[in-house]
Amino acid sequence: MSSFTVPIGPQHPALPEPILLKLEVEGEYVVGVDVDVSYMHRGIEKAMEYRNYIQNIYLAERICGICNVAHTICYTLNVDKLYDKEIPPRAQYLRVIIEELNRIHSHLLWLGVAGHEIGFDTLFMYVWRDRERVMDLIETITGNRVNTAYTTIGGVRRDITSDIEYKIRKTMDIVEERTKYYKSVAAAEPTILTRTKEVGILKTIDAVKLCAVGPLLRASNVKNDVRADAPYAAHDEVPFNVITYPYCDVFSRVLVRVDEIFECINMIRYCLDHLPKGPIRIKLPLKPPKGEAITRVEAPRGELLHYVVSDGSEKPYRYKVRTPTLANIPALCRMLTSSGDYVVKIADIPIAYASIDPCLCCTGRVQFLDIEKDKKWTWSWEELKEYSKKEWKKS
Amino acid sequence: MSDEDFLNKLKEAFKEKIIESSIPRKNIINIVVPKESYKEVIKFIVENFNIPHIQTITGIDMSNEIQIIAHLGRSTTINVKTSIDKNNPEIDTITDIIPGASFYEREVYDLLGVNFRGHPNLKRVVLPENWPKGVYPLRKEYKPEHPKPLRGV
Repeated sequence: MSSFTVPIGPQHPALPEPILLKLEVEGEYVVGVDVDVSYMHRGIEKAMEYRNYIQNIYLAERICGICNVAHTICYTLNVDKLYDKEIPPRAQYLRVIIEELNRIHSHLLWLGVAGHEIGFDTLFMYVWRDRERVMDLIETITGNRVNTAYTTIGGVRRDITSDIEYKIRKTMDIVEERTKYYKSVAAAEPTILTRTKEVGILKTIDAVKLCAVGPLLRASNVKNDVRADAPYAAHDEVPFNVITYPYCDVFSRVLVRVDEIFECINMIRYCLDHLPKGPIRIKLPLKPPKGEAITRVEAPRGELLHYVVSDGSEKPYRYKVRTPTLANIPALCRMLTSSGDYVVKIADIPIAYASIDPCLCCTGRVQFLDIEKDKKWTWSWEELKEYSKKEWKKS
Repeated sequence: MSDEDFLNKLKEAFKEKIIESSIPRKNIINIVVPKESYKEVIKFIVENFNIPHIQTITGIDMSNEIQIIAHLGRSTTINVKTSIDKNNPEIDTITDIIPGASFYEREVYDLLGVNFRGHPNLKRVVLPENWPKGVYPLRKEYKPEHPKPLRGV
């Protein structure tokens, strides 16, 4: 049978992200795939070279909206390393709490999207309602729902009061109960089982060879998690299990993510129980010493890497970001290609693609645009600098 | 195996081919090699220490040369660094050893203009199709235009 090419994307109702999949199809079967991820490239690495370390916190955060906390944590841990100073333990615990809250919200969001992709919109509505509770909690702790800028160089910006602690515990109880229900639905509902079992298979050997990361790798039965392998923040003190499932398909990825939510909840509880006392931030000079640093964190989508080279000035000489979605794209190509007994149908594309939890904002990275300012309120750069210096000395 | 043991074994195998090495922090190992033995060293690490994972490949413009860093490993990060000539940036591909490196090499090719010899599918990955040839945004001589504020929209 002769094959022909079907382009899907970059704007397509079934794909939540701007990606172009050029599918080589023979009848109903996909035999080859080529991926174009360039639609979101915003030149963030270059933009970071033109801004100082404080400004870059906010730029790093805007690499991605969903896993923004993972990016700020990775960025601040990375820059902290340049100074080689001890960060207060309380700040490290607070970083773990906010990171795990971010992971819960991201996994719930994904579960909703996965339900939507297979036409199970009730699940989508239910899950997103409970995700709102977590978003409200993030707002209570940090002051904002999405771009929170909670962690900063040398610690975190806000402390947790006993009121907030009570709220966190209460919300965690509700989320835990709801997630148990979703797990029972996901493991038994025929709609989910028929659409996810033995779809989008990624064998263990392929996952390792193609350097997949995160839940995708763990769903292919590889015990790997940056939090366990190379602990950062307070992860060496907080106990947790690395979840793996052996089925290597989309169903396996659903189970990994749902089970991870329980682990997150337990980690947050442990952190609240064992929260050390003390300061939440130390003051560090604006210019870090010369040197380089590399940091990896476990973002909701997998291993996230930041690498910085400092030349002793107030701006980084080179900043490199490698996001989990880019690492998972070779694995995605393998997953979407029929080989031997394994066949991929066109109808399986959306859920198989969504199962890597793609985030192309991350993969392409950023440059930002100044929007119209009201002249009455415009500050010159010098004025802003003066103001920030004054505030800096006060703190 | 501890980081020190790992480094000693590597030094034993390659001797003077390892120009410089250090362990700046726990779980980080830096190795500087000449570009001729870059591929050889990576192959040795992947096969003898069973580390099939590449974290990423970074390219840095060091004004007269381009530094290529391959970050390998799952728990310990092994940074294999090498420098190549900026006027003729060429280096062997490692995609035949680690298939997962394909997209990282394409990214470095796209943004810094480094030619990876033997890469099966070396083409653009992040820049748009109509981006001018020979302009590499991550090189230091490239200065981005400051975007003009949008008015009257």
